Amino acid sequence: MKQPTIPVVKRSLFSWIIEGNLKLQILLIVLIAITVSARVLPLEMQKRIINEAIGLRKMDLLIRYCLIYLGAVLLSSALKFTITIIQTWISERVLASMRNALYAHIIMLPLVFFRKAQPGMVVSALVTELATVGNYAGQAIATPVINILTLVTFAGYLLHLNPLLAVISFSIYPIIVFLIPILQKRANQANKKRVDATRKMSSKIGEVITGIHEIQGNGTFKIENERFAKLVHKMYKIRLAWNSYKQGIKVGNNFFVNLGPFIIFLLGGYLAMNGRLELGAMVAFLSAQEKLYDPWKELIDFYQTYMDAAVSYKRTMEYFDIPIEFQLEDKSRPVYDLSGAIEVKDLTFVSESGIQLLDGISLSLNPGESLALIGYSGSGKSTLALCIGQLYAYTDGHIYMDGHEVLELTKNDVVNQLGFVSQAPFIFAGTIEENLLYAVDALTDIRPDMPIPTRDDKIAVLHQTGLFLDVLQFGFNTILSREKHADLATELIRVRQNFHREFSDALSNYVEFFDENRYLYHANVIENLFMGTPNTTDFSQEDLTQNPRFMKFLAEAELIRPLTSLGAELAKQTVDILGDLEPDAVFFEQSPILLDQWEEVRAIVDQLKRTRLNQLPQKDQNLLLNLAFRFKPGKHKLVSLPGILEKMILEGRFLFREHISREDPGAFSFYNLSEYIFSQSILNNILFGQITTTNLKAIDTINQSIIQLIIEEDFLETLVEIGMQFDVGSKGDRLSGGQKQKLAIARTLLKQPRILIMDEATSALDNKSQSRIQNLIETRWKGKSTIISVAHRLDIIKNYDKIAVMKAGKIIELGSYKELIDRKGVFYELVGGRK
Amino acid sequence: MSWSVEGSEPCQACEFQENLKILRQIPFFSETPIESLKIFAYLCTRERFRQGDYLFSQDDDDGQAFYILSGEAELLYSNGRQDLVIRRYQPGDFSGGLTLLGRAQRLFSLKAVTDMVCLMLTRDKFQKAVTQVPQAIPGMLQAIVENIWEWEKRFLEDRSSECEVCRKRTGVSMI
Repeated sequence: MKQPTIPVVKRSLFSWIIEGNLKLQILLIVLIAITVSARVLPLEMQKRIINEAIGLRKMDLLIRYCLIYLGAVLLSSALKFTITIIQTWISERVLASMRNALYAHIIMLPLVFFRKAQPGMVVSALVTELATVGNYAGQAIATPVINILTLVTFAGYLLHLNPLLAVISFSIYPIIVFLIPILQKRANQANKKRVDATRKMSSKIGEVITGIHEIQGNGTFKIENERFAKLVHKMYKIRLAWNSYKQGIKVGNNFFVNLGPFIIFLLGGYLAMNGRLELGAMVAFLSAQEKLYDPWKELIDFYQTYMDAAVSYKRTMEYFDIPIEFQLEDKSRPVYDLSGAIEVKDLTFVSESGIQLLDGISLSLNPGESLALIGYSGSGKSTLALCIGQLYAYTDGHIYMDGHEVLELTKNDVVNQLGFVSQAPFIFAGTIEENLLYAVDALTDIRPDMPIPTRDDKIAVLHQTGLFLDVLQFGFNTILSREKHADLATELIRVRQNFHREFSDALSNYVEFFDENRYLYHANVIENLFMGTPNTTDFSQEDLTQNPRFMKFLAEAELIRPLTSLGAELAKQTVDILGDLEPDAVFFEQSPILLDQWEEVRAIVDQLKRTRLNQLPQKDQNLLLNLAFRFKPGKHKLVSLPGILEKMILEGRFLFREHISREDPGAFSFYNLSEYIFSQSILNNILFGQITTTNLKAIDTINQSIIQLIIEEDFLETLVEIGMQFDVGSKGDRLSGGQKQKLAIARTLLKQPRILIMDEATSALDNKSQSRIQNLIETRWKGKSTIISVAHRLDIIKNYDKIAVMKAGKIIELGSYKELIDRKGVFYELVGGRK
Repeated sequence: MSWSVEGSEPCQACEFQENLKILRQIPFFSETPIESLKIFAYLCTRERFRQGDYLFSQDDDDGQAFYILSGEAELLYSNGRQDLVIRRYQPGDFSGGLTLLGRAQRLFSLKAVTDMVCLMLTRDKFQKAVTQVPQAIPGMLQAIVENIWEWEKRFLEDRSSECEVCRKRTGVSMI
């Protein structure tokens, strides 16, 4: 992409309309010129039809003029359509490039900006406000040109028909041109207020959504409703005024324009009676007068769109008009390859609000040295780390890396050899692997010769950070596809057989094995009936009540009534327990009801108080039946599975097998110890059953036994690779806090930076994992990379080369562990206090 | 779940109702209004542990509360050199009310000395529910206050005369 010379926030609105769209705009003007001529033609034909064809009773002329009229109308419609399409095209192009440019600018803005900016505000700027501007961009040239040209042409035509009448009927327009800007000015003021009010509202909504747990936790609904209502009321008043002015402009305009025919009738009629105006000319005059109205109205609308767009554009760009602190790159020189030497001299950092967070900090680190920063919270240790990592721009003093002032380095210089793990690492939506490669991917532009991490590299960092088992677990929970993984499936069967030989007895307490003669309490009713995987799409649909073949079977097995009634019982119990609670996924883990069905289920339960089950609409009965289909007695403990129903379902299992082998053999692969089950996870396939416990320690025992077998079969790596495809969910929601932190460390380590800054990077980890990471740093990284670690614990910093004790923005003690202990100062007390 | 594996008669019929009965007997929950208590009873799960399993380990923050249905466990404290047995837990004992309320690393380990079955509630589920039924909180806080008060009172009576360091550290209840 071409680097824009002017920052996006300084560009004029007009520059977007021309730049990159010049050819399209010229094409538009050409098309417009043709359209305008095509618009006058019907008027002339109208006059000739009345005066020449009808007046002189010439049929051939009538047909010829009518055909020309038709042709002109068709042509101008087709042209108008083309013009609209080109306009839309320009609009969308401008909108897209404006969004991209502004977004690129926003994510480079200093962190300080985001402390104050509400996400809602940024969203509304990028999504709503810019859309108004984009809409204008398409019209910016075409609309005024086409309408002014049309007006001028029609006006010329009218003057040609009758100069006196024309001049008098034009006399209205100056009044309008004088009045409208006055109203528009007021509308603009209201619009400015509207943009601000919209921002406030977006930001309030953003705040409420982020803090919803506080609102619900504190029951502050009334307070929040009142606060929001105030904003809504303000917005309501502003929008009312804004729209009233806008409508006022339209109505005023209409009024004056509609006065036109009145003058023509009065004056034209008089002239016609006196024989000074032909009747045909008067009709043409009336139509032309009427046709003046459309372009005029469009011009007025355009004027309003322009004004709105100008206000939105200015307000948006002003909001983000903050200088970028660090340029991405310096094209005049190659990116620095920093060695890891860091020198801090008299460093001071004063926050925007004037608080001095760092005060005269000096220290130096040779490449490969390690430094631990300790101190109470608020002592400035994180701020120092952020300044060194170029995330904060310090206000005074110096930080040198290889003699270069950090403030003058580009982002690429820093990113090239520096890894930063923050206190609250952020994981993006995508797979584990994508997140793992996140930091490395940024390097591909900076270091073109850098090798792409291999599978072994990735697995190595997963091991080092202690994420390996978690990822393996994700691999175990993956459902393989028949098409892609046929070979792997065959190998897994071997693991299954070994597992059953060696471990099945020892683990029988924690696993429910698939057994065609027993009811599976941890499987749902459908799984219990099928005990197999459908090979066709026939039985794999989500809502089996819509499958006539299955319903016929269910009726034969006499299961519809009892299951529907079980579904009703499940619904009643869940509604009784959860009642009016705000639905949350956690509440539905132990019920077969799905979160998004909740309202529907509540309505059915309410209805069941008045009607009998079999009187419910079929749709509702089906929903209850589906609830029963998902029922797992081992998990959904609010209702029991009656013994008799259990026997009937078991009976149904055999009936179903008969049914399938009779009607559609091959439609199902029934569970069989020597076949892979493609509808179940890898883990369940190896177990040939499913885990019944949530006890982490028991699950760990099972995992250990399986891993041992997997290693023997030599596809541990394959499974980890499958696990790396696990989708972590939006913001990494499907990972635990510890997993997120480990992943953040892993993605930094994969980059192998010469400077590693860890800002309390292990605070969410348990003791074992913290020691593991510490160990890793001491054995693999010490001596090779410069390490700066903001530490929250004192027992892990013994082996750091230097320890800096901070208090109120100053370093009060600096030295090795031994030196500081020997000094018997603050550090000694801190350590002693813990013993 | 594994009830049926045992060969005993499946007791799923009454599990939710049974949980409810149990919670009503636990001081931490006993003051909770029945409508709210139903939610906690519903969110509980049952876990079995084998002899030698750890229900939780010192220094972990597992966020789980246990009520022992059957079997016995030992509460252990490790001082880095050896494990000291603090006390024995038996059926009917409840452990971990505080852990439901907030994050904290375990000061002890709980180890099953026989095979065990426990009723278990996790902090995650508890907190999601309790934010929606704030009327349950006062009763729980009262139970905690009584617990700490009782503990400190006993501590003062039993130990303070023997050990000066201990006396200096009293005042936890801030009463």
